[in-house]
Amino acid sequence: MTQQDTIQLGGGELSLWGKIKLTIARRTEGRGVALLAIILTVALLTEPLVFTAYQVTLGRIALIGLVALGLTAVILMGQLDLSVASTLAASGVVLAIIPDLTLGIIAALLTGLLVGAINAFGVAIIGINSFIWTLGMLFFLRGVALVISNEAPVKLTNADAGIAFGQPLIGPITPRILIFILVFIAIQVFVSRVKMGREFYAVGGNPQAAKDAGIPVKRRIFTGFMISGFVSALAGVINTLERTAADPIAGSTVLLASFAAAIIGGNYLKGGRGSIVGTLIGAGALGVLQVTLTLSGVQVPVQQIFIGLVLLLAVTTDPNNLRAVLSSIRSARSSRVKVQKPASEPNKSTAS
Amino acid sequence: MSKNEPITQINAMAQAPEEQPKQKSRRGVEWFAENGIFVFTAVLILSAAIFVDGFASLQNITDVFHRAAPIGIVAVGMTFVVISGNYLDLSVVAQVATAAVIMIAVSNEYGYFAAVLAAMLAALIYAIVNGVAVGYFKANAVIVTLSTTYVGLGLLRLLSGGSIFFGPPDGALAQFGAGKLGPVPYSALVLVAMTLILAFVLNRTNFGFTVRSFGINERATRLGGTNTGLVIIGAFLVTSLSAMIAGFVLAAFSNTAVSAMSTGYDFQALAAIIVGGTSVFGGKGSVLRTLLGVIFVSVLSNVLVLLNIGFGYQQMALGVLIALAVTVDALARRAGKK
Repeated sequence: MTQQDTIQLGGGELSLWGKIKLTIARRTEGRGVALLAIILTVALLTEPLVFTAYQVTLGRIALIGLVALGLTAVILMGQLDLSVASTLAASGVVLAIIPDLTLGIIAALLTGLLVGAINAFGVAIIGINSFIWTLGMLFFLRGVALVISNEAPVKLTNADAGIAFGQPLIGPITPRILIFILVFIAIQVFVSRVKMGREFYAVGGNPQAAKDAGIPVKRRIFTGFMISGFVSALAGVINTLERTAADPIAGSTVLLASFAAAIIGGNYLKGGRGSIVGTLIGAGALGVLQVTLTLSGVQVPVQQIFIGLVLLLAVTTDPNNLRAVLSSIRSARSSRVKVQKPASEPNKSTAS
Repeated sequence: MSKNEPITQINAMAQAPEEQPKQKSRRGVEWFAENGIFVFTAVLILSAAIFVDGFASLQNITDVFHRAAPIGIVAVGMTFVVISGNYLDLSVVAQVATAAVIMIAVSNEYGYFAAVLAAMLAALIYAIVNGVAVGYFKANAVIVTLSTTYVGLGLLRLLSGGSIFFGPPDGALAQFGAGKLGPVPYSALVLVAMTLILAFVLNRTNFGFTVRSFGINERATRLGGTNTGLVIIGAFLVTSLSAMIAGFVLAAFSNTAVSAMSTGYDFQALAAIIVGGTSVFGGKGSVLRTLLGVIFVSVLSNVLVLLNIGFGYQQMALGVLIALAVTVDALARRAGKK
């Protein structure tokens, strides 16, 4: 909303086409919308069942999207949390091994918060690149999940509660979808309306400037990683409840799909640009894609190929990156034209 | 050869700050980051030999070599990508498995020459896709290689049908896999040869200098007139070719190949590289140190296996090891900056 206001302020003298161009340039969700449109069209033409069985589709979107929402909070700050999939698995196992359900859920969610805090400690306090630190965490947590589950899937002791959890509440809305919608609203409001959440953009855009402006950057990084850890633990709890069992190596497809959803949704990996709505659109596109592929009887490897390709496409066609690439090529060309004339003689000798 | 001059200057500039006088504590951290691995490896091997039953037997040492060889070959190659400042290449998992499956499946039908050609083609494709996305499109290397891993493994599973391929039991590949020069398996010799070749490439060729200078300062390297995109593709190509050779060695060792055979290679190779003292910030590191890291990581996991410690604990140990190594690296870097 606020973004549209600024567009009107800045583009007062522009023609309608100019305004549209400006809007497209300012919003970050463009690629997500395009992909969603393409996938929806293909799904409509080939597998209309995707829409009639919308409960399945919504469930799949919620599965991918929940983890992606938490991830977005971290990506906005220019960090990355690769440990989400293992957090999901580990918290699921924690829930399953604790006999009491309430206690189990609390312990599982606390696990997520703890993982987030450890991730943030490595990134903000020690100063290690988040890609490497959370990659270490990914493997460490997979080890933890394997150890506490004795390297085998664990059955939920209170299976009835799990079965009850899988039932729709109102219409097609299962508790999973309801939680997903609630988390979406919560993070959307947090990032766009709450001061602390707005500061995530500042931290991602320019950490030094954010620090100079008085934003406690390190504390924001802690908040972001703990949101991501908490949300992935929540996803792990939901998974375990719905399946009434916890798999210690769960979540490897979720890892790929949630990253693809967040990045195709227009969240710039270097931080500062992006939106939760974009992540929702990305999750929608990938959820529909997955369900379409499953319904058309495509093998699992082919689904992996498709989602992998979407991720590759998403990360290479990032508009922010492309702009930088183009301008660097342009500047390189212009500087070469200036410099090369006097330096052409020695250059020739080295080339030969 | 006149091209060498500015590059050696860059190298000298990169080393110059180390000679400035520093306070003792900073020096301590830096010394630890530089040389800690030597101490740790020695302590680990000595204590394993004394306290762990069955470590110091010839059979076990050969086993360690056999296990270390493919991971080590991947690690020495991946060192190039890490030094160029692009974190790592996760897709080595898919690449090693692809090379192994191609080696056995294609050689069964068309002979070894065709198999090697096909595997090289696959390595080239991987290098170009990863390198173009990272080098020209400036995409994040972790995400790019994560997606190529899944695409590659998906393609491999699709084409191979997920089945296991067996080589002929008396074929040249099987003989190579079982062959030894004295007590040393051929695969370990391949690892040593690869290390020496890649150390030469990194330290003595223009390409190696450029990879390193790219890791130190990407912008300066680009403004210096280097085609940085090509350098990145080159770094990924070194990794891909190493992963290919690792796939051959792995296929030769077991004389079988399946798409899931190289799970965890990305992480173990990264552990070896970082423990060896190559910085994930780029620029700093060496191939010989990676070899030392490989020895450390292999001996450690061998000791854990001998002590009957479960797979989960091994993963945890590797995770902690990486965390410690990058922490030391970050602290030393910070001490060096101040």
